[in-house]
Amino acid sequence: MNNTIELNNISYKYPKGRKVFDNFSLNLKNGETTVLTGKNGSGKTTLTKLIMGILKPSFGEVKVFGQSTASLSLGSIGEMVGYVFQYPERQLFSTSVVEELTFPLLFKGYNKEETMDKAEEMLEIFDLGKVKNSYPLFLSYGEKRRLAIASVLMIGPKYLILDEPTASLDKERIDALSEVLDKLKKINIGMLIISHNKDFIERHKDKVLALEGVNYE
Amino acid sequence: MNAVEVKNLSFKYNNSEGYVLKDVNFSVRKGETVAIIGQSGCGKSTLCNLICGLIPRLYKGELSGEVLIFGENINRLSISETVSKIGIIFQNPSTQLFSPTIEDELAFGPENLCVEREEICNRIDKILKTMNMEKYRYDNPNNLSGGQQQLVAIASVLMLAPSILICDEIMSWIDDEGKEIIKDVLLKLKEEGKTIIMVDHDYDNIKIADRIFNLR
Amino acid sequence: MNDIDPRTKIVQVLILSTLGLIYNDISVLSLILFAAIVIALINNVNLISTLVKLKRLLKIIVLIALIQSLLTNAGAPVLKIGSLTILTDYGILRALEFILRMVIIIISAAIITTSSSREIIQGLIQWHCPYEIAFMVSVAIRFLPIFKEEMTDMVTAIQLRGIELKKVKLNKKIQVYKYILTPITINSVTKAKELAAAMEMRGFRAYPERTSCMVLKMRAVDYIIIVLSIAAALLLLAQSHSPIYLFLASHKLGIRCE
Repeated sequence: MNNTIELNNISYKYPKGRKVFDNFSLNLKNGETTVLTGKNGSGKTTLTKLIMGILKPSFGEVKVFGQSTASLSLGSIGEMVGYVFQYPERQLFSTSVVEELTFPLLFKGYNKEETMDKAEEMLEIFDLGKVKNSYPLFLSYGEKRRLAIASVLMIGPKYLILDEPTASLDKERIDALSEVLDKLKKINIGMLIISHNKDFIERHKDKVLALEGVNYE
Repeated sequence: MNAVEVKNLSFKYNNSEGYVLKDVNFSVRKGETVAIIGQSGCGKSTLCNLICGLIPRLYKGELSGEVLIFGENINRLSISETVSKIGIIFQNPSTQLFSPTIEDELAFGPENLCVEREEICNRIDKILKTMNMEKYRYDNPNNLSGGQQQLVAIASVLMLAPSILICDEIMSWIDDEGKEIIKDVLLKLKEEGKTIIMVDHDYDNIKIADRIFNLR
Repeated sequence: MNDIDPRTKIVQVLILSTLGLIYNDISVLSLILFAAIVIALINNVNLISTLVKLKRLLKIIVLIALIQSLLTNAGAPVLKIGSLTILTDYGILRALEFILRMVIIIISAAIITTSSSREIIQGLIQWHCPYEIAFMVSVAIRFLPIFKEEMTDMVTAIQLRGIELKKVKLNKKIQVYKYILTPITINSVTKAKELAAAMEMRGFRAYPERTSCMVLKMRAVDYIIIVLSIAAALLLLAQSHSPIYLFLASHKLGIRCE
C-alpha cells in the first residue's frame, strides 16, 4: 500500500453546473513527481483542491496517506500534503521571512528552539538566508515562491502540490527553483506539479498526467 | 525623427538607496519593434514607466536626463497628448480592467478624452472586429481567461490610437495558447506601422523584435 | 419591460424602502410588501431564486426578530413557563413587523439589480453625481468577486498550515486576524496602484468633463411610473393614521402645551 494519494471514483461538478470529473480515479505514489498538464479550464486546479480536501467531491473518496480526507480537518491534511498556490501572495502572512516559517508551529505551542533550528535549515535549502528579515510580500516573485514552499514544508508534509510554480519567473529563477525541487526529490518528497513549461516538465517529471481524455503515461 | 529617444536617463526612487537606472541611452525609430531584455529587478518596468511618463507623474523620485517622444520632451506634454501618442500594457491583466463590461472598458479611454459618442462607438465596433472579440462585447471581465483579459487591455489602449506601444512583460501570466494569440496581435500591429517597445525576460516572447537592447 | 430607466427603478426603490422604514403598522407594511412584490415581478425579478440565495440572511433576520420578541415584555403573554413570560402578543407583532420591513428592503435591492451596474452608475451620473464617486463604486463592484476569491484562498492557506480558525481561543483570535489582514491589505494596495497606473495612462481626469458612450433617456413609461409611485406614496402618507400626520399633530400639540 504505497499509494500516497488515492482518488477513488470521484465525481465533481462546478457550482455553475458543469461536471468536470466523472467516476475519476487516480493513484499517486510516494516519492514520485507527477506533472499535471491540460488546457485552461480542464480542471487542474480543481483536481488539486479535491485532493487537499478544499473541495469535496459529490461522489467517491479521496485518501491521503491511507486516510480519507472527508473526516480530516484542513490542518491535519496540511501536515501530510503541502499545497502551494499559483499566487504566493495568498499564502504569505507575516512581517518577516523567519516569522513566516515559524509562526504556525509557535502558535500551536511547539518548542521555540527546535522550530528556529528547523527554520534555519529551510533558509539554507531554499536559499533565503539573505532575506531572512525581509517582508515576505515585498520579495521578488522567485523568492516568494520558494518561501511559500518552505513554509508549507515546515509543517512536515511528505508530499507537495505545486500550482504553476514557474509562472512569471525568468530562466535564472526557474533554475533556482529546479535546484530546490531536486533537493526535495532526494529526500523522497513526492510532488504533483501543474505546469505548462516544457523544459521544466522534462527536467522533473517521472510521470505526466494530461487532463482531457485523462492520459496517464 | 525618432519615435522615442532616451538621453542620459538616471532614476532613483525616493525611498531607495541606489539608482535603479544609470545613464541609459537609446532610441527607437518610428515603426520599429525594439525588445529590452534583462533579469528581474534590473529596472525594466521602471524604464517603461519613465518612457510613458508615469514617472514622474504618478511615481516620484530623482530623475535626470530626458525622454523625447517624437522630438518633444514628455514632461511638456499634457495627459491627453501623452496617452494619444503612447500606450502601455502591463503584466497583470486583471488590474487593467475595471469596468462592468468589455464595451465599457473599451469606451473608458476615449470618454476620458471627450471623444464624441458616435466616434467612440465606431472605434469599438472596429476594434472588436479586428481582434476577433465581438462575442465578448457584453461580457464581464471576471469571466474571461487571463489571455482574453490581456487582449481586452491591449484593445482598450488601442482605442486611443497611440502610435507607440509599450509592453511591460505582458505575457508573464498568460498560458501558451494565450501567448500565441497575443503574439499574433502584436505582429499585426507591427505590420500596421506601430512602434513597439517590448520588455521581457523570455526570448521566446520577443521574436518579432527588430532589435534587442540589453539592460544591465 | 427591461427598458425601464434605472433611475425610475431607483425612485421606486427609494419610495418603497422609505415607506417601509417609517411605518410601524403591520397592515400597512403588508400593503407595502405587496406593492414591492408587484413592482419586482413587473421588473422581471426572479423572487424565488433571490430568496433561496439569501437563505442564510433570512435565517439571521428571523433569529433577530425572535430575540427581539423575547426581550419585549409589553402586552398580553402568549407563552409562559411557570411565572416567567417568554413571549407576548406585542412581541410577536414587533417581530413580524421587523421581518416584513427587512423583506421589503431585500426585494428593493433585488429590483435594483435588474439594471446592470453600468446603467445604475450612468443614471447617477446623469443626475449629476460626481463621476469619481460613481466610478469608484463601479470599480468596487468589479473587484468584489476577486476579493472574495482571494480571501477564501487565504483562509484556506492559513488553515492548511495548522491554524484551525474555529478552535482558536478568543485572545489568540486577534493574532490570527493580524496574520490574515497583512496579505489582504498589501494585496489591495498593490492592486490599487496598478489600477491607478492603468487608469492614468488611459487619460483618467485629463479634462474636467468626459463624454459617455452610454446615454440614458427617460421615456413616457418612466415618467408615468414615477408619477404614479409618488402619488401612491403621498396618498398613503395622507391617511389619518400615517406617522407623518401623527408627527405633525403632536408637534402642534407640543406648541399648544407650551
